[in-house]
Amino acid sequence: MGKPKNKDRYKKGGVMAYKDMGYWQPDYEPKPTDLIAMFRITPQDGVDSIEAAAAVAGESSTATWTICWTDRLTANDKYQAKAYRVDPVPNSPGEFFSYIAYDIDLFEPGSIANLTASIIGNVFGFKPLKALRLEDMYFPVAYVKTFAGPPTGIVVERERLDKFGRPLLGATVKPKLGLSGRSYGRVVYEGLKGGLDFTKDDENINSQPFMHWRERFLYVMEAVNRAQAMSGEIKGHYLNVTAATMEDMYERAEFAKSLGSTIVMIDLVIGYTAIQSMSKWCRDNDMILHLHRAGHSTYTRLRSHGVSFRVICKWMRLAGVDHIHAGTVVGKLEGDPRTTAGYYDILREDFVPMKLENGVFFDQHWASLNKVMPVASGGIHAGQMHQLITLLGEDVVLQFGGGTIGHPSGIEAGATANRVALEAMIFARNEGRDLMAEGPEILKNAAKFCTPLKTALELWKDVTFNYTSTDAPDFVPSSTPS
Amino acid sequence: MKITQGTFSFLPDLTDEQITKQIQYCIDNDWAVGIEFTNDPHPRNTYWEMWDLPMFDIRDAAGILYELNACRKVYGDNHYIRLSAFDNTHGWESIKLSFIVNRPKVEDPGFRLVRQEVDGRSIRYTTQAYSTDKPSSERYRD
Amino acid sequence: MSEIKSFNLQKAFEASGVKEVLDELDRDLIGLLPVKTRIHETASLLLVNKAREELNLSKIQPSLHMSFTGNPGTGKTTVAMRMAKLLYRLGYVRKGHLVLVTRDDLVGQYIGHTAPKTKEILKKAMGGVLFIDEAYYLYRPENERDYGQEVIEILLQVMEDHRDDLVVILAGYADKMDKFFSSNPGFRSRVAHHIDFPDYSDDELFEIAIKMLKEQNYVLGDNAVTILKEYIAKRREQPHFANARSIRNGLDRAILRQANRLFNKGDVELNAKDLSEIDYEDFALSRVLKSKPPTQP
Ligand SMILES: Nc1ncnc2c1ncn2[C@@H]1O[C@H](COP(=O)(O)OP(=O)(O)O)[C@@H](O)[C@H]1O
Repeated sequence: MGKPKNKDRYKKGGVMAYKDMGYWQPDYEPKPTDLIAMFRITPQDGVDSIEAAAAVAGESSTATWTICWTDRLTANDKYQAKAYRVDPVPNSPGEFFSYIAYDIDLFEPGSIANLTASIIGNVFGFKPLKALRLEDMYFPVAYVKTFAGPPTGIVVERERLDKFGRPLLGATVKPKLGLSGRSYGRVVYEGLKGGLDFTKDDENINSQPFMHWRERFLYVMEAVNRAQAMSGEIKGHYLNVTAATMEDMYERAEFAKSLGSTIVMIDLVIGYTAIQSMSKWCRDNDMILHLHRAGHSTYTRLRSHGVSFRVICKWMRLAGVDHIHAGTVVGKLEGDPRTTAGYYDILREDFVPMKLENGVFFDQHWASLNKVMPVASGGIHAGQMHQLITLLGEDVVLQFGGGTIGHPSGIEAGATANRVALEAMIFARNEGRDLMAEGPEILKNAAKFCTPLKTALELWKDVTFNYTSTDAPDFVPSSTPS
Repeated sequence: MKITQGTFSFLPDLTDEQITKQIQYCIDNDWAVGIEFTNDPHPRNTYWEMWDLPMFDIRDAAGILYELNACRKVYGDNHYIRLSAFDNTHGWESIKLSFIVNRPKVEDPGFRLVRQEVDGRSIRYTTQAYSTDKPSSERYRD
Repeated sequence: MSEIKSFNLQKAFEASGVKEVLDELDRDLIGLLPVKTRIHETASLLLVNKAREELNLSKIQPSLHMSFTGNPGTGKTTVAMRMAKLLYRLGYVRKGHLVLVTRDDLVGQYIGHTAPKTKEILKKAMGGVLFIDEAYYLYRPENERDYGQEVIEILLQVMEDHRDDLVVILAGYADKMDKFFSSNPGFRSRVAHHIDFPDYSDDELFEIAIKMLKEQNYVLGDNAVTILKEYIAKRREQPHFANARSIRNGLDRAILRQANRLFNKGDVELNAKDLSEIDYEDFALSRVLKSKPPTQP
């Protein structure tokens, strides 16, 4: 294709016509090694959707606003991203889904920082667009294989913990802030002794005036070991090693290891490179890595702008975390059931087929990359156990914070109530019972031999969070032909 | 104390009828069920003794229960017995469900937590089962 | 207290799918009238027993172990498979599969080998039917140390203690089975149902042959009717005659010869009829008929 001359400049915006520069190729068939990004674009009034898609392709790969002679020194055709398909979004006038293919050579192997600098580095502030959202990405196996993935994975985590066949049970220590190390450890001990598998630091528990991180680590590990001896069962606490610098994080992680912790925790806000560094450290030190998705809603929640959480899930599986908070559907935080099912599949399956009604736009092969254990937390309680297991399956950590620590008979009672509800529900599921229909009945029967569960069911029976989701899929399930 | 290893330890001890249903669930999923027993319940004691090999190609839970009863006859009084179901599906290839089906007839004396003070305020923790203070042949007997 | 419960046998018969299995049996198997009658009777008995259970008139699980006696190829295995299905539909076994074994599958090679081997098989059969072909070979009185005795002991135990877990069918020649029962009274008392399988007549075997061909989408050519009948009569005279099984083997060879014949025709177009018809020549070359020159059609 001939290069456009200066006089072909786009008249109004002062921008080159990207679609004429090779960034729009409707006949392009993505190569098996191409990466594909699917954006939701909302062009400014008067901007053509195809030109907008081409612009996104250009700005996220080789283009700048004008022609540079230095392009001629490169195999430019290869490095140009190609928008090859633009579809109007169902029921959303002015929005378009655009598919853009990127050559694998555009990316450094095994680097999320490099990947994201390319794909979301520049384009999100691009003027001709009102809004832009990265909905989904496809990664060829050749690219997936450049990542080590989760250091532990679901299967090995279960083997190490000797816990099979049921969701793991956790709780976040409350109150989030203000407890001394010694008091903090008390909450951990009571919860674990009562039947939790894990307790958890919250995202903003680091090292503050009320509790230095070493105090927390020391008391928590006393609690973990004591609870382990009291139950004969392996226990853990996600020690949050998030800190200001990598040096500090490594120091905290090393200390956690020296105390015998099985798991450490980081926050998403530490950044992709820090996450990958911690993943590498965990792999070298037999440690499970828990990721709290702190801050994600700033860019994942809005439907028209930002990055979908399903893309974050994919990036995090590549980057290599063992746990990630991925929604509860029924709890207090955002989460449409189908969209959430899409996240869970992405994290847990080896092959994830395209499923538009779940917001999954591509078939994705993970090439045996370890699986990530999703964590469901935020406003859930024992009375929802049948819904949680039906919606989320068994390879998930269920975290009941308030639902454990807020139990009127104490933390231990709260933990026991949740554990009994959990085991009774899995037991009934295995027996072939219909959880959604019989769930409340199953819980009631279990409560007959477990007073704490009885108390919990009565106390929280009416607590639900029914708000309309802001991130529901654009496609409704089509009735399957029989 | 009651050791809470295994999937269903917070429920009342299972009846044979309940065990049968859980076994059938495993068999229907094409998992091989194995019987294992121990008198050393340390949480890191991974390898309990196998009562023969995990059982493949069984169609009905009665086949497994038949062996479980044979195992109980020999070890039931003073050992823990658990059933573990193995899934050979690619990407899992490990245990899918594991639950205790028999506990020693005498109360478990539990675990001792040994603390060794090391540098700073750090402590090295060691968990020891009181039952293993005795030789194997004398454990869980009055 | 006096809630009059009732039970509609006919409805249960149809709803359970028992009728379907019996109809299939009648339809798919040629001849075997006495066997079919006995199976109908057994089905009725078991259905009535279920009804009595429902109305609390009966509590005991009836003994369902059986013996199938008759010469080879008389349909014992085939009927056992139907029986497993029938017992499943009637609710007397939980899965309805059939595990087929002979002495070699049960008896071990060295001390300590037999019990696990036998138990392995028993566990696999639980929920279904264990079919032991030529069961009498388990008993070898001439050898005191024979491991078969160990199998017998385990088997008797399981047949008694696990009545609701599996049904055992012992199969073999009638005379040998009689001898076996008389020297092993334990089995005699545990086996409640004896079914005898008569040899097939020539006409029945002919009919079976036609059916077997049809199952594989073959037809018998008009010119082959006489020779097939002759083949059957001759085959019966041969040593190791095994009723329907010998017919199946004979047909397999005829099909092979047909393929050869068609191939040797060389470069010609063949239609569906050519490809499915078994002709005079496909039997004529049979070793069975070789003893004297074949009759021309
Ligand atoms: N009555 C019958 N009608 C049709 N096919 C039959 C009949 N009896 C036996 N067969 C066929 O003959 C073969 C041998 O029968 P089988 O049941 O194995 O006999 P057995 O167990 O008595 O040796 C099988 O292929 C079976 O399908």
